[in-house]
Amino acid sequence: MMPRVPLRAALALVRVFAVLVPASRRAEWTAEWCAELEHRSRQLARRSDSTWSADVDLIRRALGALPDAAWLRRQFTLDADAVRDTVHGLRMLATTPGFTVSVLVVFAIGIGATTAILSLTDALLVRPLSLPDADRLMTIWQVNRETGQGRLDVAPANAIDLMQRVRSFQTLAIAENWSVKHTVPGGEPQQPLPAARVTETFFEVLGLPMLYGRGFAPDDYRPGANRTAVLSHRVWSDRFGADPSVVGRVAIFDEKVPYTILGVMPPGIELRLVERSRRPEPLVWLPRPAFDGAELNNRTQGYWNLIGRLAPGVTLHQAEAELAVLSANLAREHPKTNAAVAAEIVPLRAHLAGSLHALLPLFLGAAAILLAVACANVATLFLARGASRVREFAMRQALGASRGRLVRQMLTESLLLATLGGTLGLLLARGALDAVARLRPPDIALADRVPIDARSALIACGVTLLAALVAGLLPSLQLSRPAAARALREGRSSAGRRTHSTLVVLEVAAAFVLAIGAGLLTRSFVTLVHTDPGFQSDHVSVLQVFAYARQNTPEKRTLFFAELVDRMRALPGVVAAGAVSSMPFGEAKILSDRMPFTIVGRPTGTEPEPLINIVPVVGDYFRAMSIPLLKGRLFDGTDSPQSPAVALVSQGALRQFWPDADPIGATVRFQLLGRRYEARVVGVVGEVRHETLDRPARAELFLPHAQSGFGSMSVVVRSAPGSAVTIRMLKEQVWALDPALSIYSSGTLDQLVSKTLTGRRFNLLLLGGFAAATLLLATAGVFALVSFSTTQRLREFAVRMALGAQRSDIVRLVLIQAVALAMTGVAIGASVALQLTPMLRALLFGVTSNDPATFVAVGVALVAVAAAACYLPARRAISVDPSLVLRRDV
Amino acid sequence: MNFTYPTTLVLHALANGFRHGFDIIDATELPSGTVYPILRRLERDELATADWEDHAIAREEQRPPRRYYELTPAGRAVLAEARARFRVPRSIAARARRLRPGESS
Repeated sequence: MMPRVPLRAALALVRVFAVLVPASRRAEWTAEWCAELEHRSRQLARRSDSTWSADVDLIRRALGALPDAAWLRRQFTLDADAVRDTVHGLRMLATTPGFTVSVLVVFAIGIGATTAILSLTDALLVRPLSLPDADRLMTIWQVNRETGQGRLDVAPANAIDLMQRVRSFQTLAIAENWSVKHTVPGGEPQQPLPAARVTETFFEVLGLPMLYGRGFAPDDYRPGANRTAVLSHRVWSDRFGADPSVVGRVAIFDEKVPYTILGVMPPGIELRLVERSRRPEPLVWLPRPAFDGAELNNRTQGYWNLIGRLAPGVTLHQAEAELAVLSANLAREHPKTNAAVAAEIVPLRAHLAGSLHALLPLFLGAAAILLAVACANVATLFLARGASRVREFAMRQALGASRGRLVRQMLTESLLLATLGGTLGLLLARGALDAVARLRPPDIALADRVPIDARSALIACGVTLLAALVAGLLPSLQLSRPAAARALREGRSSAGRRTHSTLVVLEVAAAFVLAIGAGLLTRSFVTLVHTDPGFQSDHVSVLQVFAYARQNTPEKRTLFFAELVDRMRALPGVVAAGAVSSMPFGEAKILSDRMPFTIVGRPTGTEPEPLINIVPVVGDYFRAMSIPLLKGRLFDGTDSPQSPAVALVSQGALRQFWPDADPIGATVRFQLLGRRYEARVVGVVGEVRHETLDRPARAELFLPHAQSGFGSMSVVVRSAPGSAVTIRMLKEQVWALDPALSIYSSGTLDQLVSKTLTGRRFNLLLLGGFAAATLLLATAGVFALVSFSTTQRLREFAVRMALGAQRSDIVRLVLIQAVALAMTGVAIGASVALQLTPMLRALLFGVTSNDPATFVAVGVALVAVAAAACYLPARRAISVDPSLVLRRDV
Repeated sequence: MNFTYPTTLVLHALANGFRHGFDIIDATELPSGTVYPILRRLERDELATADWEDHAIAREEQRPPRRYYELTPAGRAVLAEARARFRVPRSIAARARRLRPGESS
């Protein structure tokens, strides 16, 4: 009897689905389903209620065989093939530890470095700042058009004029660098806390709700109002026990002054408004009292910082245009002071990204090169391995493995390596980002706590994995049966050698390009470190002391500093002690702007007055700094408040203002702190660099402290080498004279100079890291290629040795291959580097972007490294027994 | 072992003497695509065993031998636990009385 149509259809469906079921269970599975269907069909026939709906039900049940088959397939694939592939893969990786470790290292370096730099880019340029609508927040700085120096603090009168006239900002606020000492009753004397005094619009500009309490209100600025303060999140958690109830309570600052705490800032707010002084971020915010007369007239001393929120609808470009007009107006109104002064707007984000903002494209480029080299490296490693496994695969194919099975095996191994390498890479990226946060120059505020960006990690892992898959799968896909048979017979394959060499040459070229960049930065750094600043920084300690609050008349201050310097000089081991108002490389910038002066008897034209830095000094300042006296005499005890005013000029001033005349005996007129001076020049001293080593020395005019009574001085003490003079001992001398005096900062002069190199050191480290990693990968690439081809040429070497070749001849053959590769790579790299290095020009110092010495040194080093990579393969080549090699495989 | 409600129903049907796949589908009114993977899982986890019915029966009915399933002691324990979690409809037991193999025709 013929089965009914619905049954036939149902059985056919089941047989189609059976293809999915793993072969080992397929027969049994089909039998079970068919039996059920047949039984059902027969039951229906017997009951003779074979209705249309019963037939549909039969088909529906047969369709249920599909999920059943799929479930079995999934189980099978998970339990069997994948596990077996993984176990086999792990075993294969363990048998070739050299390959495995190399691939893991390459994966880790490539993925780690790329992820880190992409995450950093994301944090600096993309990730929203923690301030609301932060892209409208702008910082405003002064620019000196004459020297081209930008990012200068703004002079008070200029800031006040800007605030009153500017239209393109919705609100503008002023912050002024300050410091307070927080006194805990009965506690130790405390170091001053960095603070800022701000105008009442400050927190409005930020647009930030306080974590607790409130920001400043207009009432807090009324004369006679209670003193108030806002705490940063950090000082609140470090010193106030993270206690929300501090709001409304009183804290004692500066010994005895009570301040009511109004609010606590949310965490993670860093503005770096204290750019130029390189000081830490303010921890305490205080209201700034109303502008005083001195501020309303001060256009020469910049020490204010401006932050503002652009008015709705105004673009950065429009705001810049308006500021240009306002600056031009100010220059016209105050030609003596503002002729060369312009204003510059820096968006807060760019400001917080600091020097890295301009350099990110460079580092991204370096990361891209590194990633490309990593991919090339992974590809060569897999190609070499594929070639060496041709026999294994040919054998397995001969034993019945399908090509799909072999491809899946390769896939599993690649994925295993990628997973392990990717994990290592992410760990490396985390470490690198932490290192960046630790070593960053202070201006790159956004580089703290950079999270690993998931998309960056995916991109880096994906690209590397793709390279591994392509290189890993190619050999197994190419392995057709005839080729496999040939491979079995011959035991070697020459395919892919040229691809392999090309990749290695490109790796060497890329390593050369990055090494040139790092080399140029290194040379600049070394040149810079060896630049003569005009003084000797070893064995010099510096204490910056603010005496205004405690010594309230010029006479008292003169006496105080003279006595302090005498006490320091009397300490055993001290060679010379002095003090100076504007300390070279000092942290607080005192009298750091140039002031107008006139040389008596010289005709003044229509041009603006000459400008010079005016610097009061105490005692043996020049000897303590080892600044040479070039002409005339130094200040001595005869230069008192009663004696005629005298002055010294620096060599720079001599060059600029007395190019062909003798300054000694000349009379100069200037003003300092509202007092007029008419001083006779008595000597010329050497010039010193002031802010950084890469800026030229400035013109300075020194006057004896006894004739000025200035209050903010840096005490400079030179001690004999090997003496036990400590900063602590020096501080005790200050406190012996006045126990409550605040010491703003202290340290050795070496430290001060070194701090100005942080940025360069950081750039060097970053680019150097990329260069080193790329060089490592390229070396590994040369090594892998030479080892691989040496293995393949063992027969050739054996024949040569059998015919009388010496070991040195064989070594030469191996070396020639590596050196040829490296030299080709260097040649290509050099031509590329010559095009790219001009981009580095802004970072270079004392070296040209095509510096031949660097190019030659890096080239020679690369070829030498490539030759060194041949050591192991060459040893292997000469240590084989020719008779064994020749007998094998014949 | 995840105790989904369908799993509990299948266990319950097995406990009530429904031994073949299609009979369990009838008893539980679940689709075949749900019941069979559950049976595979029960078998994999050793909560049920499977075997082929006697060839004699199959020959008598002029069809291939069917596969039947039986709960193991572990399966019964799991069912007891599952019953505490889900309320099992009485309908299966009722249908079991009506449809018990041998009594159905």
